[in-house]
Amino acid sequence: MAVKAIGEYRFPSRSRQELYGDDQLVSVWFADNPWWCAAAMFRAPQAMTWGDFWTQMVVPYAEEDPDWKADAAYSFSLWGVPLTPRPDQTLAELGIEHKDVIALRAA
Amino acid sequence: MTIAPDASRSASKKTRKLPMKQRYQALTRDLDWEPSYVDPKDMFPYTEFEGIKIHDWSKWEDPFRLTVDAYAKYQAEKDKRLYAVLDGFAQGQGHLSLTDASYLNTMKLFLQGVTPLEYQAHRNFAYLARHLAGPGPRFAALCQSIDEIRHAQTEIHTLSNYNKYYSGLHNYLQQHDRVWYLSVPKSFFDDALSAGPFEFLIAIGFSFEYLLTNLLFVPFMSGASFNGDLPTMTFGFSAQSDESRHMTLGLEAIKFLLEQDEDNVPIVQEWIDKWFWRGYRVTGLVAQMLDYMLPRKVMSWKEAFELYFEQQMMQGLFQDLAFYGITPPRHVEQALSEKEILSHQVYWVLYQFSHAAAFTTSVPDDEHMAWLSATYPDTFDKYFRPLWEKERRNIAAGGRHFVRGLPQLCQVCQIPMTFTEPGDPTTIAQRVSVYEGEKFNTCSDGCQWIFEREPEKYVQAWLPVHQIYQGNCGGPTLPDVLAWYGLQDGDSGEHKGSRDDLNWQRWHAQTPTGLGAEGEQ
Ligand SMILES: [Fe+2]
Ligand SMILES: [Fe+2]
Ligand SMILES: [Zn+2]
Repeated sequence: MAVKAIGEYRFPSRSRQELYGDDQLVSVWFADNPWWCAAAMFRAPQAMTWGDFWTQMVVPYAEEDPDWKADAAYSFSLWGVPLTPRPDQTLAELGIEHKDVIALRAA
Repeated sequence: MTIAPDASRSASKKTRKLPMKQRYQALTRDLDWEPSYVDPKDMFPYTEFEGIKIHDWSKWEDPFRLTVDAYAKYQAEKDKRLYAVLDGFAQGQGHLSLTDASYLNTMKLFLQGVTPLEYQAHRNFAYLARHLAGPGPRFAALCQSIDEIRHAQTEIHTLSNYNKYYSGLHNYLQQHDRVWYLSVPKSFFDDALSAGPFEFLIAIGFSFEYLLTNLLFVPFMSGASFNGDLPTMTFGFSAQSDESRHMTLGLEAIKFLLEQDEDNVPIVQEWIDKWFWRGYRVTGLVAQMLDYMLPRKVMSWKEAFELYFEQQMMQGLFQDLAFYGITPPRHVEQALSEKEILSHQVYWVLYQFSHAAAFTTSVPDDEHMAWLSATYPDTFDKYFRPLWEKERRNIAAGGRHFVRGLPQLCQVCQIPMTFTEPGDPTTIAQRVSVYEGEKFNTCSDGCQWIFEREPEKYVQAWLPVHQIYQGNCGGPTLPDVLAWYGLQDGDSGEHKGSRDDLNWQRWHAQTPTGLGAEGEQ
């Protein structure tokens, strides 16, 4: 169903990927950790490697949880599909798109 | 009275006074006219595009028969009483007899989140007072428009006294437009303002003012009366007679639309479905207020929800509306299933992001936790106490849980994506829709359904987190954003040791009874 309006009703998305240049928004959802009230959202370059994403974005955020262990084993998934990232793969190579949500669980 | 008795008697002989009902008729209906040289569609251009069919505007019932004259006199009386209370409270340093400085967090939320909506309601009811094609509803909308601007003004005046002594109240209008949690009520109301006139009537007139008013507006007033806030309580009493008129208007509006044409029924049903869920998500802020922010509790969110929604609406209202073929709102089962977890989840959000808010938060103390356990025996100890216990250990070790980053937001309700899967309070719900190749995240089946029904509308959402990342909120660092929010020292963060808390302790050390003059022996 479309909006019923008095005229043509078409406006661009206010958060479309092009507004972020070569970056995109990516959320990390600590799916088994209730310490975080919600998934964390980051702005990350599409060409960023998983290794950099992990150490520069995820870890500094996650460290605030006193029980967090950066070197523990974690499993990842993207919309229910398991994801096994290598540190040298870029977010784009991993198929991670604008406004995707990476679920993280203790392995 | 300045008119001499003789003069009034002779005047009444000359001008025969009409009974109230006819006077009202004369004031409203007889001021209406059929256009002779203008197409009625040009005169009222917005009454057809939503698909609503009205055959006879004169069938609109005017339950109040209020005249402008009577309205002004009555409201002036009420306002006089309110302003007398405000003066007395200010002169007697009444703020010192609140239960605690932390109580004012509820009023900060109210002033920042609700008062600007009163003003927006004023604007849109003025629009209805011009653009509805029937004189009865136009006059009712006019009265409500005036009510709403009075509410905005009297709320501002009522709370302005606290602004002299407490943080977080000084910049509420700018904050309403900018701060992340205030985008929740703001975007809710903007959604209604940008809808057609009939959808607005169902969204605000019916869903907000009737269906959910006892869960959205009234709890703030009850909280005030339980916590020594005489000015807000008096404001609440003063607004009460207006609100009962607004409730009646909302109910009349829905019945009128349903009776005018059967084709209106499915349209109205979808609006009920949408606006129940939109409004219900906003009540999350009220839920945490009742269960966490109020130092002296009125009733729990669960009790309020059971009484005001389950009993009065599900068992009362919707049984009446069944006569027209209206069913209870879509996704209502989800709302019912959340009543024992909602307040805890929302406060946990506010707690860990209060460094970026214009209010303060704190870990519940032992007594408060005992109340929460007793009130929520099936959920608090199991799911939420462990989080607070962990945070206590964190604080003992020198920490304080403030998130070092930004949360994922729901595209529709704009609340951080904290809500959980139906029946599973441990798994956050993640919904995603793809529209024109772009992904959109929503917090629940309700918000996803609303998004997918009108994606062109919600793709425009001004989501605070996304706007920060686009560089539209003052700059890239947290201090940049907080400055752009208009926050000052003392507005935000942990309540214990905050400016308001320290002032409160200092004032009460000087006057041990908290009331000044007498003092303790
Ligand atoms: Fe109001
Ligand atoms: Fe109202
Ligand atoms: Zn939502």
